[in-house]
Amino acid sequence: MFYLGVDVGSLSCDAVLVDEQGQMVDWAVIPTGARNVESIAKVQRQILAKSGIPLQQVGATIATGYGRDRVEGRLASVTEITCHGRGIQAALAGTEVLVDIGGQDSKAMLLDGKGRVLDFAMNDKCAAGTGRFLEAMARTLEIELAQLGHLDKDAHGDLTLSSMCTVFAESEVVSLIAEGAAVPEIVRGLHRAIANRTRTLIKRVAPNLSGLAVAMSGGVARNPGVVRTLGQVLDCEISVPKEPDTIGALGAALIARDRSVKR
Amino acid sequence: MNQEITKLAGFTCAYTPLPLLAAAGFTPYRILPVGQAPDQAGSILHDNMCPHVKRVLDRALDDDLPGLDALVVINSCDAMRRLADAWPKARPAEPVMLLDLPYSADERAVNFLRQELLALAEKLAAGSGRLPSQEELHQSIATYNRLARLFDRLDARAAAGTLTGGRAGLQRWHQRSVTEPIDKILAELETFAADNDHPDKAAAGAPILLFGNVLAETEAFDLFEEAGARIVAEDLCTGSRQLTVLPENPAEDPYLILARGLLNRPPCARTIHAEPTGDLAEQVMRRAQETGARGVVAHVLKFCDPYLARLPAVHERLRKEGMPLLVLEGDCTMRSLGQQRTRIEAFVEMLQGEES
Amino acid sequence: MMLPYFENLIQGIEERLATDKSGIVARKRLTLETARLGKRLYSGEERITWSGLVAPYDLLAAMGIVPCFVEFIGGMLASMGSIDPMLEQADQMGYATDCCTYHRAVTGAVHQGLLPEPDFLIATSAVCSGGMAVIEGLARHFDKDLFVIHVPHEKNERAVAYLADQFRALTDFVTEHTGEALDPDRLRMAVDNTNRARAAMIETYRWARQVPSPARSRDLINFGIVMALFLGTEGGAEVAEAYRDEFARKAGENIAGVPGEQLRLLWLQNRIQFKNPLVEMLEQEYQTAVVAEELNDIAWDPIDPEDPYPGFARRALSFSLVGSTAHRAQSIQRLAKDYQVDGAINPCHWGCRQGTGARGLMGEALRGAGVPTLNLEVDCVDPRNFAEGQLRTRLQAFVEMLLDHKAAAGGP
Repeated sequence: MFYLGVDVGSLSCDAVLVDEQGQMVDWAVIPTGARNVESIAKVQRQILAKSGIPLQQVGATIATGYGRDRVEGRLASVTEITCHGRGIQAALAGTEVLVDIGGQDSKAMLLDGKGRVLDFAMNDKCAAGTGRFLEAMARTLEIELAQLGHLDKDAHGDLTLSSMCTVFAESEVVSLIAEGAAVPEIVRGLHRAIANRTRTLIKRVAPNLSGLAVAMSGGVARNPGVVRTLGQVLDCEISVPKEPDTIGALGAALIARDRSVKR
Repeated sequence: MNQEITKLAGFTCAYTPLPLLAAAGFTPYRILPVGQAPDQAGSILHDNMCPHVKRVLDRALDDDLPGLDALVVINSCDAMRRLADAWPKARPAEPVMLLDLPYSADERAVNFLRQELLALAEKLAAGSGRLPSQEELHQSIATYNRLARLFDRLDARAAAGTLTGGRAGLQRWHQRSVTEPIDKILAELETFAADNDHPDKAAAGAPILLFGNVLAETEAFDLFEEAGARIVAEDLCTGSRQLTVLPENPAEDPYLILARGLLNRPPCARTIHAEPTGDLAEQVMRRAQETGARGVVAHVLKFCDPYLARLPAVHERLRKEGMPLLVLEGDCTMRSLGQQRTRIEAFVEMLQGEES
Repeated sequence: MMLPYFENLIQGIEERLATDKSGIVARKRLTLETARLGKRLYSGEERITWSGLVAPYDLLAAMGIVPCFVEFIGGMLASMGSIDPMLEQADQMGYATDCCTYHRAVTGAVHQGLLPEPDFLIATSAVCSGGMAVIEGLARHFDKDLFVIHVPHEKNERAVAYLADQFRALTDFVTEHTGEALDPDRLRMAVDNTNRARAAMIETYRWARQVPSPARSRDLINFGIVMALFLGTEGGAEVAEAYRDEFARKAGENIAGVPGEQLRLLWLQNRIQFKNPLVEMLEQEYQTAVVAEELNDIAWDPIDPEDPYPGFARRALSFSLVGSTAHRAQSIQRLAKDYQVDGAINPCHWGCRQGTGARGLMGEALRGAGVPTLNLEVDCVDPRNFAEGQLRTRLQAFVEMLLDHKAAAGGP
């Protein structure tokens, strides 16, 4: 038997399949788009086709993410907090602090090092510092989103963005461009702004980080500039799992397995 | 109390001396921050204001309220003062009566409040033509005590998860108890309380202490229970703090009883804890331990400065004991609470130790 | 960080005062006195207290206490340009960012060890509920005793007696903590200093009302609320007299604070505490002077040195932010008339339920009195949310509108 986790996020729909032993068999990520029910069906079809595993061999499905209750045929819905805690334990064992920055929310979790959540804080009322924020900034700067994370490598200035509100930050970036600021410096400023904001979220659950194993997941963890800058402002190493945007779905798949095996 | 009660006195704060309002010939009518009235109050005050006060004002502006013969506002915080200031913009014909409220319960403060209550009685009497006698006030206090004791008993049953209708059902009674005539509600509630216990769906849930200010909507309680929580203790202005048992002593001045009783009510956001200082954090911790809660949920309205200023200390204190805390910021709409559903569910999953 | 800051500030101002040739020194004297207060707070050698805004500072001075309201530290950190880490600290502690930055900054600062330990604390129910909770939190943090003062809402003799009684009890509370009884002679002397300062301030304002006003827009920034801290002291009386003398001389010589004064503005509640170019822009580009400030107002009578407590109580009750919005509106309408202002600026300090919370009601009251008012959505202490371009445009548009009105009415 295999077990499926589906994470229905605001920007992407992720699916992960694990086997009886809890090993990841395959994963798939597609954009959520405007109709999430269709995307959910599509990502489920896609992962089964990709892995060559027939639906009958899927023992259970756990759904997570903001659209979790729209996943048909699920065993249960579990929040992305719990799923991330479980998922990161499999991907990076021993993680004690996990920060997840997704499409439209960010969250920090304190874990017991075995995947159990001890405390968490969320910022889900505003897109500041999330994937959507970075998308908007990349658009303003007229660069590819994927480029953003590398552009600031050689920037060293201390340019800062005072506002983290997407609307204000956009106009601030526009005026920086008008003033002739170099794009890498602006990008560095953006990353610093996100890192500072994320630090605040992390410190709410873990006021003292010394000696704790810190990891980052979510789509924004694919941006090395943000990860590097966050490491600098927190003064610690930040580990990033191999497919950071599938951690929630991985956790969901593992919970599907745990619950089925327990029975 | 009798057929003379025809007038409505609006009120908005759990510190309101309900026995006095009733004895003076008014049916106390709590303007609960519920309903679908459109947002307009921000233009009179400011959008960044207490959602409770804005919601109450929105209801007045939208005529989503019966006509009131008086509005009794307690000087409990900045937002309530602003409500008193703004009411005439919404309902110019309705007299606003502000009752000042001291911060300590020493004799000086008790005497000041007694004078305030006497002044309020006279203002009320000007509207109803009925200045209550001492006997009437004593009787009114006794009647409200009966209601408060009934709620205490029902609360214990809800905590155990055996009350028919659960917390949401109890909340509906809380709502009715402050918007309908007391005699009617007492009779109905006594009948309900005589009913047998039935195990409620929440009985198996993760035990939590819910504290905060205003959470009037019954659906909110369903939301917690559906997420798998059992509210073993509830400490809200629109719930268990609405009514408090006052001492009964026919030999004493009833205004003094009221004054002392109000100042010794269970603490809330506006209580300043001078001795011992900053005791709110300790109280929350003690309450959680006493009630066997495994986690604490603070439901605090946005812009409620007195609570928001204290949450860091509460969090620090609970963290020290390993007692999880979830802070939910509300705005008196179910929409906002619904948006925080993920947090509530994640919190419950955390308490249940989901899949380690 | 703070003690050396105040020491440097004192040294710098003293040097500038010693070499001054302009004769315009009152503002520097005020800053010097403020820096000296800061130094005393941080010296570790004096008895200090953190309090709410309307505590009787002269009574405390007479009892040898260095008093300070907590918002002072928020404003000070903002003017030093070092408030960001304090706000971030508060944020990390879970203090909601919708709340007043003065309060959040103080809470952050105390946890970073930047606030000197008080001997005791005094909470006052005016001017805001949030401030009371913050002082309670400081008392908890320092594990020090807290005295709570309830400032009544209504202004009547019962309220005066009740508040005066609380101030008498405060005297006992202070004695319990210092072991020293109040010396009646020192109290009389303090009250004399208060009355001296009061008289000089009133005269200063009388001069400021002249057209053109001798006041530069920055002269009276925070003047009233900072002077409150110096009431009862010789130094405070001297600063007020320096202002009086300077304004009298300038008025006598017809020296305008803003040369070519075209427009006069009233500033409500809170000034922007960090460096910003707005007021200068008004002066230089539009010859517009801020001649009056709500919180500078003195609406209380001289205090009877033989029986000062009722006077202390009346003073607290007269503060414009105590009581109803109607009371506040009356104070502001009076100021607008007395100072012949062309308009008012209401900086709706983000997170303030007093200033911001009554924005609509105040706007209506001022419109009713024929005073055009500009609401600025601004955080007076957090420079991170300062949208300069936007604010500049709004101020410019407002001033241009006022100039149009004036031209249409046949002036200036």
